[in-house]
Parts: sequence; C-alpha cells; structure tokens
Amino acid sequence: MSDLVLQNIGKTYSNGYQAIPSIDLTIEEGEFIVLVGPSGCGKSTLLRMVAGLEGISQGELLIKGDQVNNKEPADRDIAMVFQNYALYPHMTVYDNMAYGLKNRGVAKAEIATKVSAVAQMLGLEELLTRRPKQLSGGQRQRVAMGRAMVRDPKVFLFDEPLSNLDAKLRVQMRVEIRELQRKLGTTTLYVTHDQVEAMTLADRLVVLNKGHAEQIGTPMELYLRPASTFVAEFIGSPSMNLIPSRVEQGKLQLSVDIQLDCPHVSAQSVMFGIRPEHVDISPLDQADVPFIVKAVEALGAETLVHGVLQLGDGNTPAFIVRVAGHHHFEGGETLGLTLPSQAWHLFDAQTTKRIEA
Amino acid sequence: MIENRPWLTVCSHLVLLLGVFIVALPVWVALVASTHPSSAFGSGSIPMWFGDQALANWQQALVGKEGQASDLLRMTVNSLIMALGITFGKILISLLSAYAIVFFRFPFRSAAFWVIFFTLMLPVEVRIVPTYEVVANLDLLNSYTGLTLPLIASATATFLFRQCFMSIPGELVEAARIDGAGPIRFFFDILLPLSRTNIAALFVILFIYGWNQYLWPLIVTTDDAYYTLVMSVKRMLSVSDGDIAWNQVMVSTLLAMIPPVLVVIGMQKLFVKGLVETEK
Amino acid sequence: MSVYFPQKYLPYLLLLPQLLVTAVFFLWPAGQAVEQAFYQEDAFGLSREFVGLDNFIELFTSPEYFASLLTTMVFSFSVAFLGLAVALWLAVMADRVIRGAMVYQTLLIWPYAVAPALAGVLWWILFDPSMGPVALALDAIGLDWNHFVNGDQAMILVVISATWKQISYNFLFFLAGLQAIPRSLLEAAAIDGAGPSKRFWGIVFPLLSPTTFFLLVVNLVYAFFDTFGVIDATTQGGPGQSTTTMVYKVFNDGFVGLDLGSSAAQSVVLMVIVALMTVIQFRYIERKVQY
Repeated sequence: MSDLVLQNIGKTYSNGYQAIPSIDLTIEEGEFIVLVGPSGCGKSTLLRMVAGLEGISQGELLIKGDQVNNKEPADRDIAMVFQNYALYPHMTVYDNMAYGLKNRGVAKAEIATKVSAVAQMLGLEELLTRRPKQLSGGQRQRVAMGRAMVRDPKVFLFDEPLSNLDAKLRVQMRVEIRELQRKLGTTTLYVTHDQVEAMTLADRLVVLNKGHAEQIGTPMELYLRPASTFVAEFIGSPSMNLIPSRVEQGKLQLSVDIQLDCPHVSAQSVMFGIRPEHVDISPLDQADVPFIVKAVEALGAETLVHGVLQLGDGNTPAFIVRVAGHHHFEGGETLGLTLPSQAWHLFDAQTTKRIEA
Repeated sequence: MIENRPWLTVCSHLVLLLGVFIVALPVWVALVASTHPSSAFGSGSIPMWFGDQALANWQQALVGKEGQASDLLRMTVNSLIMALGITFGKILISLLSAYAIVFFRFPFRSAAFWVIFFTLMLPVEVRIVPTYEVVANLDLLNSYTGLTLPLIASATATFLFRQCFMSIPGELVEAARIDGAGPIRFFFDILLPLSRTNIAALFVILFIYGWNQYLWPLIVTTDDAYYTLVMSVKRMLSVSDGDIAWNQVMVSTLLAMIPPVLVVIGMQKLFVKGLVETEK
Repeated sequence: MSVYFPQKYLPYLLLLPQLLVTAVFFLWPAGQAVEQAFYQEDAFGLSREFVGLDNFIELFTSPEYFASLLTTMVFSFSVAFLGLAVALWLAVMADRVIRGAMVYQTLLIWPYAVAPALAGVLWWILFDPSMGPVALALDAIGLDWNHFVNGDQAMILVVISATWKQISYNFLFFLAGLQAIPRSLLEAAAIDGAGPSKRFWGIVFPLLSPTTFFLLVVNLVYAFFDTFGVIDATTQGGPGQSTTTMVYKVFNDGFVGLDLGSSAAQSVVLMVIVALMTVIQFRYIERKVQY
C-alpha cells in the first residue's frame, strides 16, 4: 500500500489567493521525497498541509490509506523537524524528546526506554539533562530529529532543517539524515530550496513552481531530462545555458550565421539548452560557435568560464562553460566551443516544455 | 569615559551624592521624627537627630498602647490582601485574555482588543463617582471584593503579555500541536514557563501599584475593619482637634512604605525590567 | 505567527473575566458618567431632571473650572519639567561614573515605591511652617513660608512631592537611553574635537529625544491622574482653590460638594483628555515600531 497519497490537493486562502492549484503525488513506503523550489513556490505550505498545520482546501490526503484531511496534527501519526528546531527552551533535551509521548499517555518507563534508544542512535546520551540554550546548532538539530524519531511516526516531515547550519555542518548533517532515514525506513517528506541538498537526499524530487509540480522524478531524471526550462535552470549548478533560437529545415539556427544539424525536430521557435559541463573547448576553426571570455572562476577541481557567445549581428547571449581541472584563460580572449548534439535540450519557447527529439 | 578628566568624575559623584541626599532627606527626617515624643513637635524645628522615644513610639504602633490593641496588623493584612488581590487578579485575567487574543482567531477578536484598550483611557480617578455608585449598587462597599475587583482590569498587563506571547516563535506552537498538546496543555506546559520572568516583573510593578492605592480604599471603606496602611496615614492627619501626633504619623508612614520599597530594592532587576517592558 | 488553535468557544471563555470586569467597572461607570452629565440631581438624590448641555455650559463658563484647568496645567508641566530635568542631570552623571552607577541607581529609584499620599506627608513635615526644618530655614533668610496660607507655596510643595516620587522613574529610562547610545559615536565626536558639553547638546540630547518625548507624555499623565494622593494628603486642594487640579475637583465636587451632574460632566471632559493623550502615546508607540 502506498504510504502517503496526495490526490488533487489544493490550497486557496480566505483572501482568494490560490497558493497551490492542484497536486497529485503518491509516495511509497520508505521513500525519501524532497520538495524543492524557490521561495514562495508553495513547498512549505504543502508540507504544512500534510502536517495538519494548514487546512486543505480541496482534494484528499491519505496516510496509510486513511483520509486525514480534518485530523489534528497530533492524530496524523506524523513528526516534524522545523527550520528553527522549535525546541522548548525551558525543557531539557530529555523532556523535549519525551513531551510528545507524555501527551499521548505513554508510560514513564516506556518513554525512558524510547528516549534513551534514540539518544544513543543520535549520540545525545551526554546531553539529555541540558537545555537547548546550552547546545550547539548541530546538537539542537539532532535533538529536533530525536524528538521526531522517538514517536516512531508513519511519516517524517522536514521543513528546511539545515538552513540554519554553517556549510560544513550542513554537509555532515545531510549525510547523517540520509543514513538515519535509510536505517529507519520511515517515509519522509523533506522541504528545501537548496538543489544540492535536494539532489543528494532524494529518492524522488518534486520541483515546485508557483504552486504546481513542474516535474516529479529521480534526481538523475531531472538532471538528464528536465521537463521544462524551469527545472532545467533550477537543477544543476551553474545553471543550464538557455538561448532562444529557431529550428528550421532540420537546422538549429542559433543565428543567421550559426546553424547546427538538428534533423528530428520540426520548425518552431525553441529554447536551446546545454549544461556548462557538456560544452567542449576546441580550436576556433573546428568550433561550432565563438565565445569571448569575460571572467574566470578557478576552483581548482574545475574552472568556470563566464562570457558571451558571438552569434553575429550584435547578438551576444551570456554563456557559462565548466571545464574540469585548472586552466588559464585571459579576459577578452576568444575561444571556440563545440556543442555536442547528444547534450542538447530543446524546449518549446511558448510552453517552456521539453521537446522530445 | 572618553577623556580622562578626574575632576569631572569627582563632580559627577558629588552631584549624584547630592541627589541621593535630597531624595533620602524626607525619609531621614521621618525616621528621626519617629523617635521623639509628641511634645517635640510643638514649637521650633523638629529635631534632626534621633530622640529617645523610638522604642515607645514603634512599640505603640506595632503592639498598641495600654488598653488599646494596635490595628497595625489588621491594616497590614488588609493592605496585603488588596495588593495581592489586585496583582494576582490583574495577572490572571490579563494572561487569559492575551492568550485568547494572540493564539486564537475568532469573530470579534479585534472588538475585544479595543474594549480592553479602552480601559487605558479610563483611570479610576476620572470616573470615580459613577464607579463608586456601581460598587455601591453591587453592595460591595466595605468588602475585599470591592477593594480589589474594580481595579483589576488592566490594559497594560494585557498588552505586556500580548507583546511577550507574540515574541514566542510560531514553530513552537506547531511543534507542541504535533506533540499532541492542546490549548490548555500548551498554556501550562509551554506558555507559562516561558513567561515566568515577565510575570515576575509584572508582579513587582503591580504589587507596588496595589499596595499604594489610596483614593479607592478611601472612598469604598467606611468600616475600619477594611482600612489599609496607606489610607490610615491620611486619617491620622485629619484629626478633628488639629493636634497631629507627628511621631505616630511618621511611624505609620514608614511602616506603610517599607514593604513596597523592600520589594523594589530586593527585586531591582525584575522591577527595572517590569517598568521598561510595561511601557513598550 | 500563522498558527492558531482551532477551538471555537475557548477564546471567549478566556476573555470573559477581563471583559466582564471591564464592562462592569469601566464601561458601565463611564456610560453612567456620560448620562449623568446631562442631568441635574438634587443634593439628596431624590429627583433629577434632564438639563441637556447645561452642566457643560455651566462648567465652561465657571471661572473656578478654568482656575482648576490652569492649576492643572501649571502643576503638570512643572512636575514634568522639573522631574525630567533633575532626572536627566542625575542620569548623565551616573552614566559618566563607571564605578558605582548601580549603587546610585539603587539609592535613587526606591521613591517609586512610595505611595503618592505618603510622599506628600513626608514633604509636608519638611515644609511645615511651625516645625519643618526647610520652612524654618527659609524663614531665617527672610522668606516667610506658610503653605497653608500662601497658594503659590502650596503649589510648590505639591510639585516637589510629586516630582520627588517621579524622578526615579525618569532616571531609569534616561539611564537606559544613555547606555544605549553607542560609545563609538561619542568617541568619534571627541576625535572631531567636541568637548563634553558640546557632545551632550550636539549628540546625546538629540539622540535621547524619543525617550524624552515618551517620558514627557508619561509624566504629564502621571501628574494629571496619579497625584491625587499627594494633594489630598497635604493641601486638600487649598488654600482656596490654589492646588485644586481637575481630577481633585471631580472628586471634591462629587463626594464633598455632592454636585453629581457637574462632577459627571467633568469626568466626561477628563475622559476626552485621556483619550487624546492615549492617542498621542499610541502614535509614539507606532512610530517606535517603525524604527
């Protein structure tokens, strides 16, 4: 049985604003689903609707087959980890973790067993008598997760849990969350705006844009076959290069001068996309298109070259090239680029949807 | 200090000491006056140094003179009942109403808020006669209820708690709801512990406010079983034959001011916090 | 915050005590005052008749009422000005001294806890014409002090008593305001060649102006309404009417003079004044929120 089902779920606020028109999503048991998108895309609203902290305007929400639309958050058998951890400042770590169990009338001895088991799993045994104020950011994060885990819920909900940690800790906690989730096998819904976090954690990703799901799929599906320009730009760093162009008579026309073979697509105006890492630098006379270097970011393992394509007639769209290893380029230098056709992405200029070759 | 100018610092200390002296002067005189026999107040300046009647005067006030027990104890108890009644009453009803206003959404919420806000505009001194009549109609004259109840509605305390509650992160409420805490549990388990210092600070301010009530007890009590310390001083001053027993007046004055002054000095931090917060 | 408890009736239950007390002891009396202001009642409360605006007209044409208005103004602004000036001076000094600032704070703030009536009694004994040391000292330098006879002197006595109690409050707020001024600002000014007094008037005082304005309003409200005890315990509005403020007059006309119609009309006038002051105070709070 599917663990968590969202059927035609929508949210309209009382002032008439439609935050989420309609979303369908079926999540299997033990799956790690990440909701990702820019701020204001409705990802947190959706999560909070699942939690029961926001009302559901339309559709059905099923947890393990039960319709829970109108159930109180506490009765949905979910647990949530908040962005700011939301630890009770006046309670010890132990009491923070035990509070939900206490309210459910769990016996004291059982609470103690559960809390200490989770504390051990998270390495919190030494901290059980401390208060949140006496903990570091990473420790608080762990307590927040522990509070969710002791309840052994059907679904974990995470609302940008790592955004208040520094970069190094974020990576470490990311790995830890993934491992824990695998070990516990609890179905998880995770909200983030950080695409790296999304890619590394998710079994499947839901890319949200203005309240609707642009694409649902595994990280690699999204990377290799983005369904729209929005997903194409959102997934991958630096973003995919997108250049408005036309396809006519089997040729991709980046400009009057620069035309590339493109046999399978019929005539229309398109967005031509190619990822910075899929572009090759080649001698100017063998290249598809000339490129003028504006700025170089040498990161050691890779070099990011920012510049513009020379398409003729003063048409100079911005373009980024990513080259493995360390290379030296001069600002103002002209390079030749080849754009291998297997790395192309073509999108309909009007609908922004992907055109399958 | 920006520049090092020792004489400026010395000057500052002198000014401050002068300030402390002037502020303390009347209490010093009162203390000295309370140690002299009443005959010392007939002619010429009241003495500026202690007399020898300290024991007798204070004993008379505390224990009573021959054949007449002191009513100090009763008045102190009355003052305490009034001060604590007002304090607890105000804190309780303000906590509840602020809780309703911040953590619930319901029709007429802002109407309720404005009704409470309106009380800011109606200090008891302003509407003293009709309030007296209402209390009289309710048959509450000469009762502890009449002394306290009309004074416990307070917009200031409600606003303070509202401010304090609004600073509690929404995520905490959400976490509590997910943890299965309803509004009552949340109030006792989370909200009250988190508002502890605010409640304590307000307690200090309101205790002083309640203890120092003067006009209200003066008009709602005619039975001396309900007299309070502060108003009793006034009654000692308006004796008909004009001979004021200054030594006794001073003892009573000092006794009436000791409890709130001790509270302020003993809980200075909370007091300062309470003052600053209630005016936010 | 966006999360609320979903219970429908609980909030009304929570609000009930406060609203009940407010309705019975605030709104009802206030309404009665408004109603009564349009009636004339005989001294025994046996009959009353509707007189329209007569009570107000009588009030606003009565020289006594204007005298009390003037008295209130003189009293309130004297208390506010004196209290602010002395407190600011002391706070600046306390801010200057590094050692002992907290000790001075303790020694200066306790009068806040003294009831206004007791403050009046304490200063009365200092100024008592026959035995007060200050009064006798004034007599010695040729100033004949008797606040039971001389209205101006009675006013000075109540102003001093009322101010004495309020200095502590002003002092605390000024000290907090001063301590909130960044040191670096004063250091920059010192490097620019501004001496202590230039720094005070050029930087500190303007930066304190929100605090000063706030305290001015609070002090005026205090002088208007919270000083009843001071006046009642010392001068009882006398000699003559020289220390009868508007609040004192409401009480006096109502309870002593038993002129309920006039007292009610005065209550209504005072309510309008408080409403205006509250609006000013609220404006200030709003502005503070914006910063």
